Amino acid sequence: MPAGLTYEPIATTTVAGSSTASVSFTGISGSYTDIVFVCDIDGSTDDSTRIRFNSDSATNYSQTNLRGDGSTAESTRSSSIAQISLGVADSTNQTNVIGSINNYSNSTTYKTVLLRANNPAEVVAARVGLWRSTSAITGIEFFIASPGNWVAGSTFTLYGIKAA
Amino acid sequence: MSPITELIGGAKAYGWGSFAAVGDFESIATVSVGGGGAADVEFTSIPATFTHLQIRFIARSARSGFADDPIDMQINGDTGANYATHTLNGDGSIATAGAGASISYFRCGRMTAATAGASTFGVGVIDILDYANTNKYRTVRTLTGEDNNGDGLVSLFSGLYQSTTAVTSIKLFSGTGANNFVQYSAFALYGIRSA
Amino acid sequence: MATTYEAIATVTVGSGGAAEIEFTSIPATFTDLSLLISARSERAQSSDNIDIFFNASTADRTDRALRGSGTVAVSYTTSNGHIGYIPAASDTANTFGSTLVYIPNYAGSANKSFSADVVMENNSAANGGAFMVLDAGLWSQTTAITSIKLITTSGAGSDFVQHSTATLYGIKNS
Repeated sequence: MPAGLTYEPIATTTVAGSSTASVSFTGISGSYTDIVFVCDIDGSTDDSTRIRFNSDSATNYSQTNLRGDGSTAESTRSSSIAQISLGVADSTNQTNVIGSINNYSNSTTYKTVLLRANNPAEVVAARVGLWRSTSAITGIEFFIASPGNWVAGSTFTLYGIKAA
Repeated sequence: MSPITELIGGAKAYGWGSFAAVGDFESIATVSVGGGGAADVEFTSIPATFTHLQIRFIARSARSGFADDPIDMQINGDTGANYATHTLNGDGSIATAGAGASISYFRCGRMTAATAGASTFGVGVIDILDYANTNKYRTVRTLTGEDNNGDGLVSLFSGLYQSTTAVTSIKLFSGTGANNFVQYSAFALYGIRSA
Repeated sequence: MATTYEAIATVTVGSGGAAEIEFTSIPATFTDLSLLISARSERAQSSDNIDIFFNASTADRTDRALRGSGTVAVSYTTSNGHIGYIPAASDTANTFGSTLVYIPNYAGSANKSFSADVVMENNSAANGGAFMVLDAGLWSQTTAITSIKLITTSGAGSDFVQHSTATLYGIKNS
């Protein structure tokens, strides 16, 4: 019987066509400890890529950001919002987001997302976001603010990390 | 001198007879804080069989009267002034940097505390490269943050432990005094192999 | 059976140092690449820059960064391959930097954006005593990455010192 992996792929979606504005992962297993997500994206326009959980589109999210735009180092905050912003899907360059949701499947704590967002054309950032729900995360939706779409070839991948 | 380059391709295969591949990222130990809390979290008897270590955590402090608390680290039970630390922080308003030298700890995390919204915890990922290499001091890198819907902090931390002794134990504790980690705080230690 | 997170190659700098650290013939069988780098420069000053290039080209490299230097936070851009800083000869002895580079879809047909978290330490609380950088990097080429080169910016007299290490990992999404 093969030994289990600590670091495993859960699912991946590659955008096809030119009109995709949302990618969803559902039925996420609770058998891992942490989720790592990797987004490699290109947008049809410069619009914000966002994340939300378990189809919750209410204002149950918030975030704190540390960012640099190439001339100014700054920090910003958004409270009681309807999603966590990952960063801009730039229309001229590839951007990437690498994030971690530690202890995503426990039913006791709110869920905190920690991520690095990299848009070499505009902003480098570290962000921490909160989803005020104790529910285990079973669904993750990445979406782009209207009227944007992702360019074909953009990818969204989830990995699971399993602690001892 | 020309660079030394090694390239080893292909998948590793080892395990129980059927060549089960286990990967180069492996869980070592987990500490989950139970009811009553914990004054500190410690990993001991860390094997030298990996190349790098990673700690992934969620944490909350019992620190009274505050919404946040930093997490500090000491290595191998050394409580002497053998550490340094640097920080890059965002508090929702401004970006700041900080530093400390010849101190008895280094900073390695952010967590929420008693006045933060219930059920809100800080999170982080801590990397210790070449932890068993006896030719180097230890440099520790952490990405961490906590958000509390109206306040919060996100930070990049670095820490220096001035000893070439292999890391065999790691202690994590509140950076503001005798404040417990509360129940449901959890710290997971992973080992990463090199080629 | 291939694994998700796999060490592809490790470079350990020997006695005498190395002007560069290079990974070549990177297989296209993974999805993403990750580099963990623990390095120090022999440069006879405090700190040195660490640069990353792909496929033996120094062109088409840009970065946007956020840096802490002890007491000051700034943001800047570069076009010389620079991703951050490592300790050098004037810094605390035996101290090596810690760098994480993550390159998604390195073998894909789009431009290559990547993430770098780069810290160096030094037992100093002064501004400029140590640097930490969050870097958003870009290689504006659609070619698959088959080689990665790390160098220090300062040229002659700034080799990577003995015991500097770098390991390249492949991460597979299925």
